[in-house]
Amino acid sequence: MTVPPDRGVSRRSFLKGSAVVGIATTGLDAAAGAVRPTRPASFGPGEHEIALLVNGSEQKVKVETRTTLLDALRDGLDLTGAKKICDRGSCGGCTVLMDGQAVNACLTLAMDAVGSKLTTVESLTDKDTVHPLVQNFVQCDAMQCGFCTPGMVMSSLACLQKRGKPTVEQMKHDLSGNLCRCGTYGRVMEAIERTAQAGGK
Amino acid sequence: MSQHPAQDPTDGVEITVGYRALPGLQDRLEQRTVEPKTGDPLPWDANTKFQVVGTDVARVDGLAKASGRAKYAYDITFPGMLHGALLRAPIAKGKLKALSLDEASAMPGIAAVVALKEVGNKVRFVGDAIAAIAGVSQHAVRDALEKVRAEYEAEEHNVDYNVAEGAPLLDANGQVEDAWPEAKEIEEALGKAAVTHTGTYRTEVQTHSSLETHGGVAKWNGQDLDFWMSTQATFGVRGELARALQGRGIKVGTVTIHAEFVGGGFGSKFGAGIEGLACALLAHAAQKPVKLMLDRFEEHTTTGNRPGALMQARAGVDKDGKLVAWDWRSFGHAGFSGQGGSVAVPNYYAIATKPRREHKDLAIDTDPPRPMRAPGHPQGWFGVELFLDELAAKAGIDPLAFRLQNDREQIRQDQWRFGAAEFGWEKARAHQNAADARWRRGVGLASARWGQLGNQGRPAHGATCRVHQDGSVEIRSGSQDIGVGLKTVMAVLTAEELGAPLAAVNAIAGHTSDPSGPAAGGSMVTPSLAPAIRQAAYRAKLQLREMVSKHLGVPVGDVECKNGKIGTGTAQLPWAEACKLIGPNPIDVRGERLANFEKPFHATQCGAQFAEVEVDTWTGIVHVTRMFGIQDCGLVIAKKQAESQVLGAMIQGVSYALHEQRIMDKRSGRMLNGDFLRYKITGPKDLPELRCHMHSIANGHDSVGAAGLGEPPSVASAAAIANAVFHALGAPVRHLPITPDKVLAALASKKA
Repeated sequence: MTVPPDRGVSRRSFLKGSAVVGIATTGLDAAAGAVRPTRPASFGPGEHEIALLVNGSEQKVKVETRTTLLDALRDGLDLTGAKKICDRGSCGGCTVLMDGQAVNACLTLAMDAVGSKLTTVESLTDKDTVHPLVQNFVQCDAMQCGFCTPGMVMSSLACLQKRGKPTVEQMKHDLSGNLCRCGTYGRVMEAIERTAQAGGK
Repeated sequence: MSQHPAQDPTDGVEITVGYRALPGLQDRLEQRTVEPKTGDPLPWDANTKFQVVGTDVARVDGLAKASGRAKYAYDITFPGMLHGALLRAPIAKGKLKALSLDEASAMPGIAAVVALKEVGNKVRFVGDAIAAIAGVSQHAVRDALEKVRAEYEAEEHNVDYNVAEGAPLLDANGQVEDAWPEAKEIEEALGKAAVTHTGTYRTEVQTHSSLETHGGVAKWNGQDLDFWMSTQATFGVRGELARALQGRGIKVGTVTIHAEFVGGGFGSKFGAGIEGLACALLAHAAQKPVKLMLDRFEEHTTTGNRPGALMQARAGVDKDGKLVAWDWRSFGHAGFSGQGGSVAVPNYYAIATKPRREHKDLAIDTDPPRPMRAPGHPQGWFGVELFLDELAAKAGIDPLAFRLQNDREQIRQDQWRFGAAEFGWEKARAHQNAADARWRRGVGLASARWGQLGNQGRPAHGATCRVHQDGSVEIRSGSQDIGVGLKTVMAVLTAEELGAPLAAVNAIAGHTSDPSGPAAGGSMVTPSLAPAIRQAAYRAKLQLREMVSKHLGVPVGDVECKNGKIGTGTAQLPWAEACKLIGPNPIDVRGERLANFEKPFHATQCGAQFAEVEVDTWTGIVHVTRMFGIQDCGLVIAKKQAESQVLGAMIQGVSYALHEQRIMDKRSGRMLNGDFLRYKITGPKDLPELRCHMHSIANGHDSVGAAGLGEPPSVASAAAIANAVFHALGAPVRHLPITPDKVLAALASKKA
């Protein structure tokens, strides 16, 4: 036996060797109805340079067809707010907004994010301003080790943007893809509630 | 009492220890004479009026964390940094028969390949590390791992505790069948008891499931190594790494560990581990920085766990409900090493005869246990507290009355009474479920205990305090903050002692270039470091007072540092103005952890928790609807962060009670649910209504009187939930996690 137990043929290692054809004509594009930047008809194997629209600016990054959006952000662009925790879409630690929708960056291929508007947790804080939601996370102590916190912030942001003033059940629903091992859920919901009450999104 | 003349006190000072009345109860205050050590400030006590300590303050690194800017080990990058990964054995037991790394090292982008086992070495569990590879990208490394030629000679393995060597025989109901070893006194006491009871209790293996996996980034500069590591023991791993590297013939100068932010540990991150050694070896071989972080399957299967346990109790009470006999045996679920499976049990329930407690560890071919939040306690407390509720029910006694009857500790006696009133115990316990109700409600309670008043031994731990002329203050410790709020505690203590604005204080932790501190284990860090931090700030304050006294021309003994001002009632300077007197060289002092005073108010930390559940009798699903916890942690320093830790422990308790178990495949020896899809931990939807009360106690054991909170609130939660399920069903579920199948079986057994 030469293949380690947890590294058998995976979706990503399958993708590495295969040319991915025609991803520019997915249903998502049609639904969005937007004119997307043109892309070659086929990619791979090997690296390609793509441009991602991250936090309002276009950023070039080299990826393979199998590179996830999470790895592109973290390893390619040094945006390490989104965390790699389960790498299988079950913990929400890598949550970013893609055209306003909360997505797991570990389940999104970088190339599929070309042409989409990406928002990462880093965009909520700069030198002069801190987003009210981030402020309320701090005020409510909605964190302990803090490793899940950026993902929680982004799912909370999506919840607020979608619902305005979410109920407790709606918050639980919208956060249900996010795991926290330290047990901060109650205070995360307090932070959302406080932000909603102040009218911040 | 923090203001006093600059000279060291030589005679004893009188302090007030204990606590003010919990609502509806009475004060528990006592006077003590203690002798503060040379160089130490006068101790804080129950009468101290604090400015910052005990108030709600924002976590000092909260914004760094919530903004995504905090750099954990996983987030560290350097130009030209390589990625590393490990090849893991696919068999549970056997030998490495052949290993060839040539093809792997010839793969594109591969910079270093290191064998971690030699041909002929034993393989001890699925996931035992065989080799390590570093390359320019994660993809390059993954591709190369597939080219390693490793062959194994498999031997017969066992991953089932029921058939491990030395395991007891169980009957069809899962009860231990083996006769108790002879114990004449216990048999006699049981013979005379008014009511006796026996039961077998089981818990499963739980994984720590820290969200940041183990690993880090290693960077060599000649013979010196800098390692950004996800660890809860900066000083421990420094020594471990240096020794391991030297053992492999590598010349090592200094090793510096950096752990400024750590994504959880819970007891699994005390060692550098094979992943730490491999990362350093790869970086050394490639002469480039290497990042090696484990993936989630590796985290579940190779970084330790809370061992499961099989426990059996028999006991009896007299006609008044007093315990007259106690017999206990337990079997711990260890890994291949056959160690680390121990179970702890409460020691404060009074028993009229000498109790027996026996324990044995069972070995199977898996990764061994590691300490996990209150090692041994949640499993033992589940067994004991559920057993006691069953015994009390047999004797017709309310569980609360039973605790009040048998619990010897005064602090918890008060906590039981206060907690029951807060939780609404009497009314909730009186609730009758209709016989045909689909949803059945129940409430339960359980106790908690921990005993840790700080590491006073060698090396003497310390802290550095620097006050700069711009008014900023540094407080530094090489110990690590794994999320408990250590940095906030450091800043609060420093601001309190100096009278400086909290915002002026920068707390820096996690670099071994700073004074030593303990590992984040055993709830040890806060009580060990708090007096050293306070002493450092105190010594800085003495220097600042001298300067201000000279500048204002007032006697130094009259100078107070309070609320951001330094001086006397008539002449004072604002903090920032006073600091300008310092000049270009900062005040730079060390504080040391001195020995504790002789007689603390209480040597252990007490707690009690209450839980309410709703059980769906159609599906067997249990919902925890609300919980209340009361927890003593000595002096509450950073209230909000202390509460976070208690509430978080309760959520982990829900998870342990209802969801978590490692499931092993007997044939392959591999964990079947080594991910976060099938290994379920409590999520937002399972969140009960949670409340806690921090029971601040002036313990008088050192100048601060702090205790930690890693362990204490983790002990009772699962036991309280199990008792609530027993109340709701009228039949106990004696096996954690309380999954629907077990609930339905308990209901069926009741009908039968």
